[in-house]
Amino acid sequence: MKRYILYSMFLGLIWCFVHGTVNFNNFLIGALLGPIVIRPFRSLYGFENKISYMNIVRKIPKLIRFFYVLFIEIIKANVMVAKIILQPKMNIKPGIIAVPIRTKTDVGITAIANTITLTPGTLTIDVSDNKEVLYVHAIDASDPQGLCDSIRDDLEEYVLEAFE
Amino acid sequence: MIEIGLIQDIISTFLLLVGAFFVFLGMVGLIRLPDVYNRLHATTKIGTLGAFGVMLSIVAKLGLEPIGVKAITVGLFILLTAPVAAHMIGRAAHRHGVGLCKESVIDEYGKEHNK
Repeated sequence: MKRYILYSMFLGLIWCFVHGTVNFNNFLIGALLGPIVIRPFRSLYGFENKISYMNIVRKIPKLIRFFYVLFIEIIKANVMVAKIILQPKMNIKPGIIAVPIRTKTDVGITAIANTITLTPGTLTIDVSDNKEVLYVHAIDASDPQGLCDSIRDDLEEYVLEAFE
Repeated sequence: MIEIGLIQDIISTFLLLVGAFFVFLGMVGLIRLPDVYNRLHATTKIGTLGAFGVMLSIVAKLGLEPIGVKAITVGLFILLTAPVAAHMIGRAAHRHGVGLCKESVIDEYGKEHNK
């Protein structure tokens, strides 16, 4: 029940944003339509886990920090790819490398996979069956170990803090 | 005394130009880069920032009108869905046996799956 209320409020907020005017009526319509959306897709919302409001409130500063880091990384990624594209002579060493990850939950894996795709020079291709290794395509794969380290130290810390 | 509308126009036009420039770069990358995986780099990363820039320019021009709020929402959804699309295209391509380009130095995914 707690989950239905929480996700309905969230979906109500999204409904307001999609509608364009944020007011109480729209929020109520969205929140009332929420359970109809949540019900058929129960398995995606993790009903078996415990949830507490305090936990979510505690994570908000970490989420803000995560999105701040993500924003900086997106700008860096764009400048880097733009440089590669505008070089007169293509000089790249692409390749696919396996990156071990520590994240265990599905939400965390999704978050880190999307973050890797949006950050400089890397693109997630697949996750292994036991959910321990991500296969990452890198535009500059001449130093696989260094790339693994940079993903672990720079990105995974923030994802672990924000989503676990 | 400068009017606030003029400042809005300048910011909005600047963001629009940045966004359009990055979308243009993405298309150039699509033509120039050698194989499907490298091309995905160009389209996802640069396409995301390009589209986001155009959306921000709408917000700067109109403020928090309904259209502006919708533009923010569209931008956030692009940010969320572009990596997923790239991931699915990349995986489908690799499973269909699309090889990496000849400059590639390493392929640990292929080693794992073509035993």
